[in-house]
Amino acid sequence: MRTRVRAGDPSVFAELFDAYSRAVYNHAFRLTADWSTAEDVMATTFMEAWRLRGRVDPEGGSLRPWLLGIATNTARNQFRSNRRYRRAAGAAAAAETAVPDHADAVADRLDDRRRLATALTALATLRRPEREVIALCLGEGLDYEAAAEALGIPVGTVASRLSRARKKLRAVAEAQLAAPKGEAGRTVTGVAAEKVRGNREGPRLPRQTRGDHANAIRPAQEGNR
Amino acid sequence: MNANTPRQGSDSDSGSDFDSAEWEQDAQLLSRTARDLPSGRHQFHKERLMAHIHEQAQQDERTAAQAAPAQAVPTQAAPAKARRFRLPRPAVTLPAMAFALSAVVVGGVVTLNGGDGARNSALATGPALTTDIGTATSKGVPQLLDQISLAAAEGDHPTVKPGQYVYIESMTADTFVKIVDDKASLASHELHRRQVWNSPDGTKGWLIDPAVNESPEGETLSLPDENGNPLEGGLNHPTYDYLAKLTTDPDKLLDLIYKETKGQGNSPDQQAFATIGDLLGESYPPAELYSALFRTAAKIPGVVVVDDAVDAAGRHGVAVARVDATSGEREEWIFDKKTHVFLGERSVQVKQLKDEEGALVKPGTVNFTSAVMNRAVVDGMKQTPSQASPTSPASQAG
Repeated sequence: MRTRVRAGDPSVFAELFDAYSRAVYNHAFRLTADWSTAEDVMATTFMEAWRLRGRVDPEGGSLRPWLLGIATNTARNQFRSNRRYRRAAGAAAAAETAVPDHADAVADRLDDRRRLATALTALATLRRPEREVIALCLGEGLDYEAAAEALGIPVGTVASRLSRARKKLRAVAEAQLAAPKGEAGRTVTGVAAEKVRGNREGPRLPRQTRGDHANAIRPAQEGNR
Repeated sequence: MNANTPRQGSDSDSGSDFDSAEWEQDAQLLSRTARDLPSGRHQFHKERLMAHIHEQAQQDERTAAQAAPAQAVPTQAAPAKARRFRLPRPAVTLPAMAFALSAVVVGGVVTLNGGDGARNSALATGPALTTDIGTATSKGVPQLLDQISLAAAEGDHPTVKPGQYVYIESMTADTFVKIVDDKASLASHELHRRQVWNSPDGTKGWLIDPAVNESPEGETLSLPDENGNPLEGGLNHPTYDYLAKLTTDPDKLLDLIYKETKGQGNSPDQQAFATIGDLLGESYPPAELYSALFRTAAKIPGVVVVDDAVDAAGRHGVAVARVDATSGEREEWIFDKKTHVFLGERSVQVKQLKDEEGALVKPGTVNFTSAVMNRAVVDGMKQTPSQASPTSPASQAG
């Protein structure tokens, strides 16, 4: 596989695309908080991969870490400032919870949306390097070595960043999830609660179905496969 | 793929602060951040990527070619330049060239009568057509069909307007069982040109094929069906208008093919494969459907790749094929090895049957072969693309 990539065999890139475009797309979303930007990043990533094919190490395992690393760089170029990320994440989170939708009024669908909004809000509180490690390790399930390879940093740095980021993430997420559900105090630890920097995204929308007069059939934005 | 699958393997070296339950819980937080690309976008981006790679590769080659003569003597610039035009376009090769090629490759089968009105005489027959069976494998079928599908999507297929005709020119030959005085033997129709014109709605058409026609002029295809109704498009008699409306979703297309061809052929899978094969050979579907046909074929069980196959015009290629278990024939779609352009199709006997006729048809016999030489949209019936062009300069003469 790696030799074929290095040789520039076009068909191997078609295979790579089939195998990893979804992972790259999702990874890019976690780094950009916007599905259409994520699509752009994904497309650019594979073109970059073609350009950088000569730099692939002939020895090694799956090329997924390599591609995710390129995607991380590409996303970084898209979103140089963290403030822009926060704004995008805030907008996306609001959109996820605010879409009035009759068909989606089922509780678990609403829960899914809330969960995504929570994840985005939580990711937005992280610093960019922390977010990258979280996206690679928690999001795409890379181990420390693979994440280190993808980011081009030492394994120890990955471990320490991840540990710090996870603590932050958990604290924010728990505060987020707990508050509207009225389950505060169930799992939130004292340490975690201290780390919460407050809700920057404004008050949460009330959890009720609004706009019952909206179209029953929604645009096929989620695809049909 | 395996998004959100936590890997705890490396956690051991980082201390005990991350137990797997906690990891699971954290990963759960991101569970909603994974989804598929919107419908159709995967294919879209993949095609764009492949086009990009193709373009870049050509550019690299060009700069390499230009760099070489810079160091050498100036006179060497010419061969370097010539390399640019290397890309073969087999589908538009002249039929004359095909004759020349086939005479070499299918040697012994074709006897050309000097080109002086071969169509005026009854079509000559010869001994059975034979070929090397080649090796078939099911390995790499999806990859090959994928590449073919991508190459097909790159092609530029014109739309056919009312009043125009789809023109398809092919070279074809076939082997049949001839019975003379109760004695059966194998014979073949020599390789010949077949030309067919069809209006987009399928109501008007013309066929010139010396193996079929009695008159060298050909015969009309503008005929109503048995009940006197004009022909309506369907999978087994596709009109351009019908194909233009057909779904390009491989799953839906396959469902439709199985449904429409139910009860036909020797097995549902073989019939589905053959139906797609017919669409490839003598029709000119819109590029999007053309590309989708290959993605649909990839979903049919039992499809194999044959490493080497020769089309009717003598062009070697790689074949996508399927063996009909009942008839022992393998239907092959032949593609250029490099460009993955469709060259033609043929049917090769790979298994000897036990019945009377089967004893005659030995493995390696080519039962039917056809190479697509030209496909075009023309403005009139019996008009060929080469005839169409001189009309405009003629007006300048006066």
